[in-house]
Amino acid sequence: MTDTVERGAPVIESRPLTELDRRPTFFARHKSLLLGLIGGLIVLSSWQTLVWVGVVDDKFASSPLGAIEGIGYLAESGMLWEPTFSTLTSVGLGILISIVIGVPLGLVIGRSSVLHGLAEPLISIMYSVPFVVFLPIIIFWFGIDDTARLVIVVWAAVFPLLINVVAGARNLDANYLQVSRVFCSSRLKTLWSVSLPGTMPYILAGFRQAVARSLVGAIVAELFMGTEGLGYVVQAETSNFQMDHAMAAIGVIAVIAVLLTRGVAWLESRLTFWSGSVD
Amino acid sequence: MDDATGRPVKLDVSDVCIGYRDRRSGSFFAAVQDLGFQIHENEFIAIVGPSGCGKTTFLSAVAGLLPIAHGTLELNGAPITGPAEDRSLVFQQASLFPWRTVAANIAYGLEAQRRLDAAGRQRVADLIELVGLAGKEGKYPRELSGGMSQRVNLARALATDPDLLLLDEPFAALDAQTREVMQEELTRIWQADEAGAGKTALFITHDVPEAVFLADRVLVFSASPGRLVESVPIDLPRPRNRDVKRSPEFMDQTEYLLDLVMRQSGLRQEVES
Ligand SMILES: Nc1ncnc2c1ncn2[C@@H]1O[C@H](COP(=O)(O)OP(=O)(O)O)[C@@H](O)[C@H]1O
Ligand SMILES: [Mg+2]
Repeated sequence: MTDTVERGAPVIESRPLTELDRRPTFFARHKSLLLGLIGGLIVLSSWQTLVWVGVVDDKFASSPLGAIEGIGYLAESGMLWEPTFSTLTSVGLGILISIVIGVPLGLVIGRSSVLHGLAEPLISIMYSVPFVVFLPIIIFWFGIDDTARLVIVVWAAVFPLLINVVAGARNLDANYLQVSRVFCSSRLKTLWSVSLPGTMPYILAGFRQAVARSLVGAIVAELFMGTEGLGYVVQAETSNFQMDHAMAAIGVIAVIAVLLTRGVAWLESRLTFWSGSVD
Repeated sequence: MDDATGRPVKLDVSDVCIGYRDRRSGSFFAAVQDLGFQIHENEFIAIVGPSGCGKTTFLSAVAGLLPIAHGTLELNGAPITGPAEDRSLVFQQASLFPWRTVAANIAYGLEAQRRLDAAGRQRVADLIELVGLAGKEGKYPRELSGGMSQRVNLARALATDPDLLLLDEPFAALDAQTREVMQEELTRIWQADEAGAGKTALFITHDVPEAVFLADRVLVFSASPGRLVESVPIDLPRPRNRDVKRSPEFMDQTEYLLDLVMRQSGLRQEVES
């Protein structure tokens, strides 16, 4: 095997470059990204044009340029960094709590057929019912302070995580567990060194959903019961008919959403590099 | 059974029955029945028998993964009640942990048994060398060929320095050429590993020439439910290499055993009468 590689490599290098070796153009290499940017630009510039032409009233519908100015206003009046930090704190803390609860609980439920039988229907229902319907009840229980916001974020994030971890633990390759038994692993060692890494692809799939839903949870909580956070800024500025400011805050939320998604994808490639085939 | 050198008994199997209970009907199905034989210290035993005759079932029971329904199964005079550090199993499917490197996979048993100290690490390094994986210790299982995976599988089992090594058709999934190489490698490793030298091995296969080439003694199992049909000593000199396979003694013994195994799968009545 190594022979062919060693003998093969110089041959490829000494071969004269042909049409087949031509490097793809810049456009070909970044096709989907570029097309996406162009699509966004088309929509934004059409919007701006409609405002300029006067078809759309920017007091009513805001405008891209107005939103950019709005960011400046938010920054000056202390409505940019602090609310962003507040929202990120809710999301981060909520996800952390969800992981601490969801991963061990999911592993234990998934590995026990009795616990699975008991808990599975409940988890499925809680996963399927839109979490926002619990908002009034949570407000009734916890009021509208930070605790309540955190509860909503955790409520939103923990079930997708749990459902994926349970599925992962159930699908864990029986051969791995047998290896563990033959070598006399303790239960804790098996959980940590076999069940956890073996379930990692599922955990990360759940984590991806949890991150997305925790952001939704945080924003919804801020819209309805917040006194801080980006959701609250959107809510407050819309009530003041400051559409540009509200739109600017939405833009910031969009950036956070994109960065979170990217971060999770990066984490996935770092932690589950071993699964999948060789390329 | 007969042991000319009078070596102590390592594994004592007598009147053993192992089976599976159907979860729905509750009925018991015996995969192995009325099994009895002894294995002595330092013996390399091969078990051959038709597919489905209960070889894996028996090996799992010796590994402590399955309880026996009846009889006695004793290792060094003590009944086998579960997995223990004195036994290792080389699995049919390599079953390597894909998230661990070659070296970390080999070290797993020592790690689980809290023996991965300086000496343990040295043992892992030595084994990587011994099984011919030098330079591959940092690779992940998905980057390995079938033959290399089985080398890791074997090294992982040897790392804990087991008293009794169990191998379940470790080369069955390999192509013919790799299998030949691995057979020779196994005899070489078996003879070279200081810690493993003089240890006892139980090797399961359905490949008769493989059994004759590797073993000191070949046990032939009947078709399901598995029982011992015959125990055939192999008197080929050691160390063995591939030339042995062309010797008339090798051919005679292979021929004899093949005939015996064929009769198990084909004409079962003949044996029972
Ligand atoms: N987990 C199991 N549950 C029920 N029956 C099984 C199980 N594993 C094996 N068997 C049955 O036991 C018999 C022996 O199987 P096995 O020990 O795998 O045979 P071999 O390894 O010799 O091919 C077969 O008839 C098989 O169907
Ligand atoms: Mg088998």
